[in-house]
Amino acid sequence: MQEIDRSTEIGLRKLVVYREDVVTEAGVAPIRPARQATAAAVVHNPWIGTGPTHDLSDAVAKMAPTLARLLTDRLIAALGGVDAIEAFGKAAIVGSAGEIEHGGALIHTPYFGNLMREFLGGDSIICFADTRADAGESLVVPLWHKTAAATRSHYQTVTTRVSDAPRADEIVVVAAASTGSRPHPRIGDRTTDPAITTKTLESVLS
Amino acid sequence: MKLRKVITIVEEIRTEGGREVYPPARIAVVAAVIENPWAGQGFVEDLTQGINETASDVGALLAPQVLEALDAPAEAYGKAAIVGLDGEVEHGSGLIHTLQFGDHFRKAANATTLLPAVEKRGPAGIVFDIPLKHITDATIRSHHQTVEVRIADAPHPNEIVVALAAAAQGRPQQRLAPLSSEQ
Repeated sequence: MQEIDRSTEIGLRKLVVYREDVVTEAGVAPIRPARQATAAAVVHNPWIGTGPTHDLSDAVAKMAPTLARLLTDRLIAALGGVDAIEAFGKAAIVGSAGEIEHGGALIHTPYFGNLMREFLGGDSIICFADTRADAGESLVVPLWHKTAAATRSHYQTVTTRVSDAPRADEIVVVAAASTGSRPHPRIGDRTTDPAITTKTLESVLS
Repeated sequence: MKLRKVITIVEEIRTEGGREVYPPARIAVVAAVIENPWAGQGFVEDLTQGINETASDVGALLAPQVLEALDAPAEAYGKAAIVGLDGEVEHGSGLIHTLQFGDHFRKAANATTLLPAVEKRGPAGIVFDIPLKHITDATIRSHHQTVEVRIADAPHPNEIVVALAAAAQGRPQQRLAPLSSEQ
């Protein structure tokens, strides 16, 4: 699909795609090597100068769908297709003149989340991180399985950072994904867990 | 070469100074996190063997990948070696300041100039800037630029991060007079 350039409409300054290919971990190649990636968009915060009672919905409807499309396109290209993607997560870093609520507005409504889920072929809730910070701050983004969120092997994180963003009046919006599990997952799953309660562990806890 | 992971970063700049950049300015970085070939050996006087066993291989790994990530002809380029805390900066320099490392990139990019470089030692998560200059004429001022990199968990004390950077253009909104205008 031809990408329509809506940079100006959404106040886009830059896009940064970051990818990690793990070849070995603890000296051993994973049985199923995975790639992780983040796609980050630096946009102008449209709510600078508005107060905490300001209705955020107009700008959300205008910006969030374009961000979802742009960022998931970058992730899909970086990770080798929708079908290759198994886990996902999202994040926002709000510049110091904005509210965390502004970041939430861009990533937590259906205008971003539903579209990201659909573009990446998932049905899980998308896990997230958000913060308010100066330019160059790192944020650890959690990921989990896109169709089976409780799949323990896929609990993982990837670090995102843009060197010169967010400025005080900007927001960094991030979509993240992985093509598989942690490199050497071996902590079981709900299906293999013993039944653990305070009663079964009485001897350890007492 | 004991390779732990490969990092790819692509930046697309759409506006700078409040004005549109069209086409978007692209810079790509590809970094390999490898075990320091001299880890655990104490002071090694002659680095030749480790260089010969590693430098060409890591150059051959990175050169095609950084050009693929850039997805456009490279006009400027640079390189980096970031040595983990147990190594010497000399180890990183040994890997990147050899023709057998750089020639892979020069050939793939049809480049002729020396690659500008950063070498330093630091902990995992250290931020480093890779300097870039024009691929055939290092005096072209519009193409002097840098790209910033951070890998959250590298280099470990016994590792080296070796990276290549490529840009498809000079600085966005570059507008300095050329060097020749001052001569």
